[in-house]
Amino acid sequence: MAFNKSNATHTNRKKVQVSFVIRDESERYNRSGVNSLQYDPQMNRLYTAGRDSIVRIWNCHPNKSSKDFYWQSMEHHTDWVNDVVLCCGGKYLISASSDMTVKVWNAHKGFCMSTLRTHKDYVKVLAYAKDKEQVASAGFDRAIFLWDVNTLTALTASNNTVTTSSLTGNKNSIYSLGMNPSGTVIISGSTERTLRVWDPRSCNKLMKLKGHTDNVKCIVVNTDGTQCLSASSDGTVRLWSLGQQRCISTMRIHDEGVWTLQTNEAFNTVLSSGRDRRVWITDLRNPEQRTLLCEASAPVLRLCLTPDMEHVWVATEESSVKRYPLNDRHLMMSEALATDAVRSINTVSPDLTIRGGASIRHYRILNDKRTVLTKDSENNVAVYDVLKAAKVSDLGQVDLDEEVKRRNKTVYVPSWFNVDLKTGMLTIHLAQDENDCFAAWVSAREVGLALEDSEETKVNYGQLLLQALLEHWPRPFQLGDEANVDGPEGSASGGASHTPAISNGAIHRPGNEYFSVAPHTPVIFSEVGGRTLYRLLCRDAGGDTEGTLLTETVPTWVADIVVNRNLPKLIKVPFYLLPHPASGIKCVKKDRLIANDFIQIRKVIEHVYEKVLGVLDTNSFGTLSGVNGGVGASTPAGSAATPTGPSPGANSLSAGSAATPSGEKGLPGSAVSSAASMTTADRQETSSIAEDKVELLCNDQILEPGMDLRTVRHFIWKSSADLVLHYRPFK
Amino acid sequence: MVQTYLEEFDNYMQQDAHEFLNFLINHISEIITAERHQLNNSATPTTNGKVTASKEPHNGSTSLKFDGSSGSTTSTGNQESTWVHEIFQGILTSETRCLNCETVSNKEEDFFDLQVDVDQNTSITHCLRTFSSTETLCTDNKFKCDVCSSYQEAQKCMRVKKLPLILALHLKRFKYVEQYNRHIKVSHRVVFPLELRLFNTSEECPDRLYDLVAVVVHCGSGPNRGHYISIVKSHDFWLLFDDDIVDKIDPSALEDFYGLTSDVQKASETGYILFYQSRDTS
Repeated sequence: MAFNKSNATHTNRKKVQVSFVIRDESERYNRSGVNSLQYDPQMNRLYTAGRDSIVRIWNCHPNKSSKDFYWQSMEHHTDWVNDVVLCCGGKYLISASSDMTVKVWNAHKGFCMSTLRTHKDYVKVLAYAKDKEQVASAGFDRAIFLWDVNTLTALTASNNTVTTSSLTGNKNSIYSLGMNPSGTVIISGSTERTLRVWDPRSCNKLMKLKGHTDNVKCIVVNTDGTQCLSASSDGTVRLWSLGQQRCISTMRIHDEGVWTLQTNEAFNTVLSSGRDRRVWITDLRNPEQRTLLCEASAPVLRLCLTPDMEHVWVATEESSVKRYPLNDRHLMMSEALATDAVRSINTVSPDLTIRGGASIRHYRILNDKRTVLTKDSENNVAVYDVLKAAKVSDLGQVDLDEEVKRRNKTVYVPSWFNVDLKTGMLTIHLAQDENDCFAAWVSAREVGLALEDSEETKVNYGQLLLQALLEHWPRPFQLGDEANVDGPEGSASGGASHTPAISNGAIHRPGNEYFSVAPHTPVIFSEVGGRTLYRLLCRDAGGDTEGTLLTETVPTWVADIVVNRNLPKLIKVPFYLLPHPASGIKCVKKDRLIANDFIQIRKVIEHVYEKVLGVLDTNSFGTLSGVNGGVGASTPAGSAATPTGPSPGANSLSAGSAATPSGEKGLPGSAVSSAASMTTADRQETSSIAEDKVELLCNDQILEPGMDLRTVRHFIWKSSADLVLHYRPFK
Repeated sequence: MVQTYLEEFDNYMQQDAHEFLNFLINHISEIITAERHQLNNSATPTTNGKVTASKEPHNGSTSLKFDGSSGSTTSTGNQESTWVHEIFQGILTSETRCLNCETVSNKEEDFFDLQVDVDQNTSITHCLRTFSSTETLCTDNKFKCDVCSSYQEAQKCMRVKKLPLILALHLKRFKYVEQYNRHIKVSHRVVFPLELRLFNTSEECPDRLYDLVAVVVHCGSGPNRGHYISIVKSHDFWLLFDDDIVDKIDPSALEDFYGLTSDVQKASETGYILFYQSRDTS
């Protein structure tokens, strides 16, 4: 018998990725298919396990006047919720998710009590032994864990260890589990096709049941554990005798994979459904006797019979959930007089529909690497601003490709995030490598963030967004320095505070200077490779518990930017600047220069003008320096007084090898030259004069002065070899 | 048919026969296409830009990768059809079934030869069966299902959708061994019959009977140096070509080139590229 300990805390070892979801605060409708259902007859409530990661509670009281059955959302998972079970008479709910966790919830109040992290891959299915209050979880990691519900629900922050036993032997990913109410028998189904049977009391292997020719997706065990039913992707439903350890009957009811089963307590009638969307009711004593209850509008993922056998709930790959009425004829077929093999009673219509919402199914990221266009399952197109974590507009049923073409600009911004549609909502994953996450430097004014700023002010998308997502997080005091000096109002010792803290003499404003994101935005930290470490809402980051957990979870490279307010590295582009062959100017030496990737062509033109025509006295290395030659990652925290971006000096070019990270600093002659004494007005004048005198080309194409180097390299140069620019004075 | 080496390969480095085959097939194809364009008086002949004859030394274990696929010679999609295609080109289809929604998606790729892994003491039929065996995509390597909009487990297998007239089978006898940090020659004994029936075809493609018509044999112990000889069926007898020496051999002599039964690293003469001709057509 295997013995495992499950802990509520965790240690980070793998790379950590930051993600968030762009969504409304309240999502009252399922945003994707529904994987599982549980019905509470006492409260007349339905619990749905959503592919949108949310478990919703629906109030199905027949006297409800409004058509809206929505009661509450239980949100904590970050990926599909694959299965749910209601325990202790409906007081608690256990959920299993593709985020690799099992969660314990207070079903009445709707909050998450604890998270179990023993699984190493998607947790696909749960089984429940009601008499023992025991739950089993299994999934793609081939492991089956047995849990005592009473122990699970007694877990607290201080008493957070639980013992579980595990059943070994599975060699394949597990897709189904069945357990009888007394917990004397547990059966697993997998891509191995053979059913494996254990006694959960002793964890002993009992038998294997062979017969299916494809994956087994559902197993139901009868009350005394003597028989079971299995549903398979091979299209058949099989009835097995556990006493005789063999298959008693194979029923070919469906045309495609059978994914879900429900039986009555007497175990003589089975409801089945799956990929072919049809819900059949079959008499197990006489399998030829069957009735078609209904045909759903999408492949059926789960059936749920009400205990009084009057209704069955049907969940599908679509987001709406429907309830169908059953009548006596459906359930007592053997007693009926008809002798036809398949009785053709008219199929029924649903008597209650829980309307579902639309799922986002397609997306396109525009070249500005900030705008995302989406199309959902109802063909509506919407526009999202990833930087501000918000939807911009709904365009209705327009053509997605056309809109993309219309809105795309010829600009190149490096990629710093990717989009994930697994939940039907927009999940954004920031690039897991910090260099990529901070690769997008842009002009604050050009992207509409700060219209009064000079064009020189550059901002970093990844930095701004991380600062906004973690706006409410106070500085943890172990990074402490003089911050514990009394500041104006708040102290650094935690507690929600929006007032700036003081450190090293500079004022730290929370978040970024330009915008905040919606406070309800979920922020997720996960291991690259799937396992979620922590999920919280943006506005809750200021709490004590949250703050501590964040300190444990937030990777150093993020804390560096968000807490220490350091600036990310600038991206450099090396390039050759040569006279155009047709210009008649002799190429004396091949100048290899480096500049920041967002530098505009007009800066290069200016450099050529000053160097070639010798307007200003620059040093022979052609350094056109500003105040201090540029900013690198080594900027001390003190300069965080200007948290917006690099100083104007970053718009300088310098000669030399690309090997020096902040090349300008390592060069001789990068000290202030006489150019430093120019005023902004002088500079602008020189700039426009320069543009009238000199033009720049790449691959024989004349370059717009407003274009930046990386755009030129991506759209015009297109090669991975060093960029070559040619200059040519106007005649 | 033995081909004479072309200029690009005319240096003092030793070259790999499969790589040469790749080059030859694509090059001939380009020449024909270019000539056609010239006849039609169009502007510039389209070169597909992907063939670069390697002037670097290589160790025979990598082949020119045209499509970034498994390494078999593939043609670029927009190439015009020439007699080279008619003879050698087939179509592979990879069928992937998502285990969650059970949707089967197909992806096709052209091929001029099939790259076959070799196991010890097996037959080419067995190796071909492994070629088409089902691979499960799971754990870190899940399948990105468009229907589910997420990563799910899947089962994938390669099937032949269209069989060529001449089927070239490239035995993967040069492998990189991490333990030794170098490539070695795998001399496993792989029996190849005179008659071959190809079973791993998809539904639209009936299985076909093939006859062995030529074998390129690699002689040597390792990937870095060696010697090639060719065996070709001409009319009804078998000829062995060893540089400028041509001998008539008995078909039973083919057995000498199956490979070695033990794993000892020594010089061997092993079948490397097998050419089978479809029996249905003359």
